[in-house]
Amino acid sequence: MRINFWYISSFFISVFVLIPILTVFSSFFENTSNYYQVLKDTFLLEYILNSLILLFSVLILTFLIGTGSAYLVSFFEFPFSNFFKWALILSFAVPPYIYAYSLTAFFENYGTAFTILKSLFGEANYNQSIPKFDGLFGAILSISFSLYAYVYVLARASFLYQPQNLIDLGKNLGFTKFKTLYSIILPAARPAIVAGLSLVAMETLAEFGAVDFFSINTLTTGIYNSWIAFDDLAFANQLSFFLLLFIFALFVLENFSRKKAKYHMNSRGGFKQKQKIKLSGSKSLMAFTFCFLVFFLSFLFPLIQMMYWTIKFPENLIDLQITKLLINTLYLVVLSSLFLIIFALISNYGNRVNKDKTLNILSTLSISGYAIPGVILAVAFITFIAWFDESVVKTYGFLSIKKVFIGSILGLVIVYFIRFYSLAFNGIKSGYEKINISVDESSYLLGYSKRKTFMNIHIPFLRNSLLFVFILISLEIIRELPITLILRPFNFETFATTAYISASEDLLEAAAVPSLFLILIATSFIIVTSKYILRDNYE
Amino acid sequence: MRKISILTLITSLFVSSFAIANEVNVFNARHYKADGELYSKFTNMTGIKVNLINGKSGALEKRIISEGVDSSADLYITADAGRCGAMDAKGTLQGGLTSKAIKDAVPASFRTSKWVGIAKRARIIYYSPERVTGAELSGMTYEGLADPKWRGRLVIRKSSNIYNKSLVASLIKNNGKAATAKWAEGVVANMARTPTGNDRAQIMAVAAGEADIAVANTYYLALMLSGKKGAEQQEAAKKVKAFFPNQNDRGTHMNVSCAALVKGAPNKANAVKLVEFLLTPQSQEHFTNNTFEFPMIDGVSPSPLVVNNLGLDFKQDMKTKLASYGKNQAAAVEVMTAAGWK
Repeated sequence: MRINFWYISSFFISVFVLIPILTVFSSFFENTSNYYQVLKDTFLLEYILNSLILLFSVLILTFLIGTGSAYLVSFFEFPFSNFFKWALILSFAVPPYIYAYSLTAFFENYGTAFTILKSLFGEANYNQSIPKFDGLFGAILSISFSLYAYVYVLARASFLYQPQNLIDLGKNLGFTKFKTLYSIILPAARPAIVAGLSLVAMETLAEFGAVDFFSINTLTTGIYNSWIAFDDLAFANQLSFFLLLFIFALFVLENFSRKKAKYHMNSRGGFKQKQKIKLSGSKSLMAFTFCFLVFFLSFLFPLIQMMYWTIKFPENLIDLQITKLLINTLYLVVLSSLFLIIFALISNYGNRVNKDKTLNILSTLSISGYAIPGVILAVAFITFIAWFDESVVKTYGFLSIKKVFIGSILGLVIVYFIRFYSLAFNGIKSGYEKINISVDESSYLLGYSKRKTFMNIHIPFLRNSLLFVFILISLEIIRELPITLILRPFNFETFATTAYISASEDLLEAAAVPSLFLILIATSFIIVTSKYILRDNYE
Repeated sequence: MRKISILTLITSLFVSSFAIANEVNVFNARHYKADGELYSKFTNMTGIKVNLINGKSGALEKRIISEGVDSSADLYITADAGRCGAMDAKGTLQGGLTSKAIKDAVPASFRTSKWVGIAKRARIIYYSPERVTGAELSGMTYEGLADPKWRGRLVIRKSSNIYNKSLVASLIKNNGKAATAKWAEGVVANMARTPTGNDRAQIMAVAAGEADIAVANTYYLALMLSGKKGAEQQEAAKKVKAFFPNQNDRGTHMNVSCAALVKGAPNKANAVKLVEFLLTPQSQEHFTNNTFEFPMIDGVSPSPLVVNNLGLDFKQDMKTKLASYGKNQAAAVEVMTAAGWK
């Protein structure tokens, strides 16, 4: 084993990220049960059932919307198909909880739909005939329309890779378009689609804002409630066990399909630029309508609803300290992504030069933070610091460290780091995989040190990956809710927390302004970098 | 040297200020805009800076508990006596809200030495005058919500809602747990729909014809009538009427927004000053006119919107101690869950 700077740094980064994750596990073995087992068993069943219904419904919807739209824009030409190509990723800018606010605002009794009907057809009680999208159904819609873009982006990338010969083969065999899709295109893209769906699945299981807004008891909100409201760690333990079981299964699935995807992408012998089929007439109209509907429902609808409310209740715009919120949000984004990227780079490089099994396993485990709901990480972090403070720091007569970590930017950034480390690590890893190892060897032959190879050769090569990682992290942090909510310092708000707090106090109109700004900022981030997210050729 | 300056830079990025200031730290679960305005007034008057951490009560409570004696929290302000009571039960509060100004202002059943009510609200029944007759409502009580005549006609929030927990806790206090368990089953049988939405959504369900009666807090109707929620909701609010239950016995169920003194508060004296300030007539007037709550103190009138539309002359339950809401909370959750109240 070669022990060097890179080895030690990657080792410590991985261990550091793992600590709170281990705390989550260990703290679940404490026993402080205080209410009735019979009731708990009914709860448990309800939570698992709700989580499963939510999970599978979202998976089905995101699969249909994501692959459907990716298929249309990758293989066909129809009016605005080039516009939809990037417009369909804008839904990333709308977090599920803001979608949930919009759904409620529009469909509730005397909501926006009522106003529209009234102004069109005059006074009447339309409430009975307006469908209500709340509860579990509302949550399914909110999450699906916000997350389908994961499937869309990955499926589209994979479609673009599919060699034209394969599709030609289908044509020669006399396959219909549907048969080609069903028996050639989809199976070939399966690993990418599964990877997208497992991301959706993890986000769905971890989803807090929208599910909490519709007060649905899932495993995640159940853990939050039994832990936070009832101090019942034993029950939280049981729930987490099931949640982690689900997540573990997904994790394995995702890793598995990622490996396959890699294998798949490397085999692009005889790659031929694909020719898009030009659609006309009713087919073209159908393709356009599908994409427009997805775009409208996922992005325009929440955007317009929030704009409408901002205009209808302008006093909320005046009351909000927008510049301050903007600075706070960007501050967190820049600081966190800086640390994430630097450490993920070091760790990746350490793995690359050392090729050590222990290190490899450690870093694989350390990225599991993404699978643990933010709510749980935040509370585990507080628990860990409190324990460490009581049993280590104070025992040795030092001053309490709680204030340094709890309710400070430092603590906030640390927990973001743990939660989003996998995004940074994997993003950079996939960039690294494209740099052949022989590049390193040539560099050493030329007498470059490891550090020089890293600084002068790898970093320039990785520039695009780094930018992509930065955007992913930024979007996550702009939208992040539970961690920020629990750990932020005094007098420190972001757009996300302001929106959430207004909404939870039955001041949905006041939530519109911060929501609108959140969407606009995230959108501008996406637009600026859309060409990196949607690279047409992956060279 | 360069390393040191980088280190300083990084440290300064994280640490905003460690200076000890004349301040008071409030963990705030009440997020009315009007409250922020009051805090600014307090700062202008006394020079004491009010630091806020806003959040949902559960998360704030967890943080206060985890931080223990080192907690930076001085005051915990939240919108239900059940929450202050529960925090007290966990041993996270301390006595000290016992100044003459506080005792003179707040009736004894609405305070303990560790927390005091700062504004009142009642949880009442709203009904549709078109579909509910005066005879049906005559002598109506909370207990009467379980009467089979309301089958399929009642809407109320989920059992996880704190206002419901406190209401049911007060029923347990007055009628006992067994009777309340039976009552909860009757209420569930009467529900027009599976509980969903907030208090305002219950009122709108009556206005929209989904149900005939609803249970919700007083200030919501006033809020809708004020037009702050838009013209549609203002219209909707006019279609429902308020009814104060239990007028012939103990009176209508009252609850408060409360301020609790946290154990280990670093700025205890300032915290007491802030509570006293919130109980002055000018602060109380500010509450009543903006959040449409009832004043905690005598001599201040509720907002005209409340007086004209809800009425003022109703018998408040001054007998049931608010501290019992926290004490009976677990039992309340248990009876509601057992009854299948979602």
